[in-house]
Amino acid sequence: MSDTPQILNTKGISIRQVGVTFGADTEEPVEALQPVDLEIEPGEFIALVGPSGCGKSTLLNVLAGFIKPSTGTALVGDEEVLKPDIDHGMVFQDYALFPWLNVIDNVAFGLERQGIAKAERLRRAQENLDMVGLTEFSNKRVHELSGGMKQRVAIARVFATDPSIILMDEPFGALDALTRRFLQHQLLEIWQRNRKTVVFVTHSVQEAIYLANRVVVMTARPGRIKLDRKIELEHPRDFSAANFRAYEKTVYDQLDEELAKTFQLEGGVGQFHD
Amino acid sequence: MKSVARTLNNILPYVYAFAFIIAIWQLAVIFSNAHVALLPPPLLAARTFIDLIISGELFVHIGASLGRVVVAWFISASIAIPLGLAMGHWKRFEHIVDPVVEIFRPISPLAWIPLAILWFGIGETGKIFIIFIATFFPILLNTVSGVKGVNPVLVRAGYVLGCKTDRELFLKVILPAAMPTIIVGLRISFGTGWAAIIAAELVAAQVGLGYLIADGMEILRSDLVLVGMAVIGILGIMIDSVFRVINNRFTWGD
Repeated sequence: MSDTPQILNTKGISIRQVGVTFGADTEEPVEALQPVDLEIEPGEFIALVGPSGCGKSTLLNVLAGFIKPSTGTALVGDEEVLKPDIDHGMVFQDYALFPWLNVIDNVAFGLERQGIAKAERLRRAQENLDMVGLTEFSNKRVHELSGGMKQRVAIARVFATDPSIILMDEPFGALDALTRRFLQHQLLEIWQRNRKTVVFVTHSVQEAIYLANRVVVMTARPGRIKLDRKIELEHPRDFSAANFRAYEKTVYDQLDEELAKTFQLEGGVGQFHD
Repeated sequence: MKSVARTLNNILPYVYAFAFIIAIWQLAVIFSNAHVALLPPPLLAARTFIDLIISGELFVHIGASLGRVVVAWFISASIAIPLGLAMGHWKRFEHIVDPVVEIFRPISPLAWIPLAILWFGIGETGKIFIIFIATFFPILLNTVSGVKGVNPVLVRAGYVLGCKTDRELFLKVILPAAMPTIIVGLRISFGTGWAAIIAAELVAAQVGLGYLIADGMEILRSDLVLVGMAVIGILGIMIDSVFRVINNRFTWGD
């Protein structure tokens, strides 16, 4: 594997005044996301962090086409997102593998929908399984896999269809710390090879800074963008290095303010770190 | 070796249960002093059972009953599954159909016997109709809950992985995801259908396990009644265990 990225399908994202209000036609509308602007370059790896209920998942669901924004437009490339599309891949926290299919058929699912012939889609699916180190597992059933393996299958599945953006909704949130580290490392390796645009939602500041080349901090509900910071560190990044810690401090300072607000609302007190 | 031990472990409780029932039966014969026509001893029933096997008569009865249940169950499934899929999928459709279903559901298949005779006469159709009623609702209700119970994240995954239409999503995600629950419904309904053969065959049958029982009562041969009952029980267990194997193939343990 060389360091030169392959020329692959990838697009930028423009979020223009995208706001989401749930139950707008009811007596108690809830503003989940205040109109936000965000420009994401093609090939950028961007992490969204913020307290629970800050609207980061809402924003991701708008990009996926699951939620229609109440205001503004979201564009991928120069096309407005109106509905889910195989070109906008997604990785879910709880894997969302199809338990009635074995591993390789899960990876090949999207390829089949694209009308690719069987031999070719099995070849590509196997290639993507090789990429996540699950070569031997192609004929296993989903329930025979551990959580980490399931998420690797989901990652293989999303890359298999070669989408132009990949949305990841707390993909490693349900995994133990060691598995999580391994998957972060593996995801980075894959991303460095193909440089797809990734929007990665996470609770973990450390994870965001370790993976992303840009970290966006969102405020407590209703969500707004509070900090938008490029991470100018070489990969592989070292959690304990001084400059890594400095980024962490910058992000935590912003988050602590938000957490304080959230807990004041809920009657709590104090400063919080992960 | 392991699988032999496991099979033995599965069968053993039934052997105990069988021995227990025979013992109680024999004790009841000894202490009740009942007339042999009312309560024959187990040995006599066993003889009757063997005679029915040797003459081949028992298999004719089993075949007739099983045939009726299978036909009725197929008809049930071919109506209840599509209807259940539609009800589970379209809320508005469910709102219209569900009250109708709920009114008919508590009515026992037995209550349909008079109408079955009036409408279909005393031929096969009436009997199949009774069993149809008995098998319909378990399939319908399980199909509805199977569709409704599909994990929404799988639906989302289906959409982002290229299901462009509702039809595509339905065939590729919702139907396979609901399949285990639908198969449970098929299994339960075969059981309720099998239990309903007595009711169905009370309607002027010439052959069948229900007929064997009804006829045994009329000619004061309770040994025939008991053999008929025992065969229904044992076949019920056997059919259910076949279904359990099919069931396990379609479940995927979360």
